[in-house]
Amino acid sequence: MIMTGDIHGGTVFKVGNDVYIVQRMLGIKGGRNGQVKRLRVKNIVTGSTCELGLDMGEKFEDVQLDYHKMKLSYIDGDTYVFIDQESYEQYELTKEDLGDNAGYITPEDDFEVEVCFYEGKPVGMTLPIAIERTITYCEPGVKGDTSGKTFKPATLDTGIEISVPLFCEIGTKIKLDTRDGTFIERVK
Amino acid sequence: MKIDLLCRVIDNYGDIGVVYRLAKALSALEPTLELRLIVDGLSSFSALVPEIEPCREEQRCRGWEIYPWELPKGQARQRFRAYRPRLIVEAFACGKPAWYEELVFDPADPEPRTILNLEYLTAEDYAAEFHLFRAATRSPLVRKFFFMPGFTEGTAGLILDRDFAATRERLSDPAGRQAARLAAARRAGLAFSAADAARLWVLVFSYERDFRRIVADLAAYGQQRPLLALVAAGRSSSPFFAAWEEAGRPFPAHQIPFLRQEAWDELLLAADVSIVRGEESLARAALGGRPFLWHAYLQDEAHQLVKVQALLDCMRPHFAPEDHAVLSSLFLAFNDRRVDSPASGGGEALLPFLERLPSLETGFASFARKLDSLGDLALHLLTFFREIG
Repeated sequence: MIMTGDIHGGTVFKVGNDVYIVQRMLGIKGGRNGQVKRLRVKNIVTGSTCELGLDMGEKFEDVQLDYHKMKLSYIDGDTYVFIDQESYEQYELTKEDLGDNAGYITPEDDFEVEVCFYEGKPVGMTLPIAIERTITYCEPGVKGDTSGKTFKPATLDTGIEISVPLFCEIGTKIKLDTRDGTFIERVK
Repeated sequence: MKIDLLCRVIDNYGDIGVVYRLAKALSALEPTLELRLIVDGLSSFSALVPEIEPCREEQRCRGWEIYPWELPKGQARQRFRAYRPRLIVEAFACGKPAWYEELVFDPADPEPRTILNLEYLTAEDYAAEFHLFRAATRSPLVRKFFFMPGFTEGTAGLILDRDFAATRERLSDPAGRQAARLAAARRAGLAFSAADAARLWVLVFSYERDFRRIVADLAAYGQQRPLLALVAAGRSSSPFFAAWEEAGRPFPAHQIPFLRQEAWDELLLAADVSIVRGEESLARAALGGRPFLWHAYLQDEAHQLVKVQALLDCMRPHFAPEDHAVLSSLFLAFNDRRVDSPASGGGEALLPFLERLPSLETGFASFARKLDSLGDLALHLLTFFREIG
């Protein structure tokens, strides 16, 4: 069984007979006893998308998936081409297939990802929980503010924007959580 | 119509207090409604409703069937098989006991089941965003929706049970208020005089904290207007009395024993100013329409401040800007802590709040009218179940 807390971008789970992959976490809100989540999912059989809510009280059936370690070889428009590190076979996934995860990877990365297959077809990708990226644009850092409590927008080398603490600068290497895109720490 | 209410007790009496109030409200609205309550803390429930016996496998109270969370195999479980869950309220994403989960997700059961996840009260915008939003379950026959209490349009509002509404009515009549206050005090075990009734009553029910500043401000205000403190049993009692003793007992302060819900409501509504905690008492204080100070449940990384700010934002239209500034400063300072302990907090200023009571009363009354206008959460819930069939 998959617990609600284990569901994040790229997770595949079953709702009835439908098999969904999480494309985007639209909102995670905290209460006293857990969280409520709103997410955009894609039915990996029909290709249709919808929004779903999740609370902490549910669990879902596992889906039989195969995972293969791959590297992103190149990006051609909205197509992401991965190469299997053992067989050297190439597999394509669209930006939509990858959802939020598309914003965390580039062909220059030295880490591997796991492409997941459902009934022989590549349907998505899972990432390491924490990855390192570089800030390519943000407003100048505020010296002395090391609290990490106040945030500003920053663009990463993959092109996506996330929130980072005020002390970050252009060129700062950071560690972020790929489950929800939150800043973890500055890489020293 | 038959509804199952599920509740796990997380924080003493708050969660079960909401479920008890909801059950009362639903039964009053729909006397033929059959309610089954499945509760994991029957001893907490029993403290609120002494007729309930904590150790019984099954019992009836006020016409409801009441079962423990871990229901032993036996006749009671058989009854659930015979009358399967169809309409279910999970209080605060409490989940379900394994035996109940089995019934709800029984693949052999062809009938649809509907679950409402009655979430925690918050003034944050997401309450309206999630209210009645579909939540996923693993079966297409089990439909689940978020059901969000709240302070704004687009949410389910708050529970306005008849007992509470009647008590509020009685205590809002200026002609009878003093007598009603004395009666409320009597029911709480306090024999007050007419002079006591004329004092400003300050009810204290918060998490543990440093009360020295609060006591000093109450003492200072007491020079202008005689007051007394009613200190509820629980986590705030000991630190409050420690600060009160340290200050030389500057005003009368009375320990309130644990009260059943109806008596607690009455005392809360009888007070002129209250310090309340959590969500259930906040809801009652807000609906009561009298000045209150909220001590929010402590959250990681002081996230309670986000919740306090959201409440202040909801209250803003009901207050003059200078009153709202005093309110904001007090609420935020009172809640600015990383831990609940007798040494935490202490940076708040209650005196400016007390000195503005006449105009603040107008604002709190206006806020309560706004909450009334959102309607009764219990009625919204019944309507939803009726409509969804």
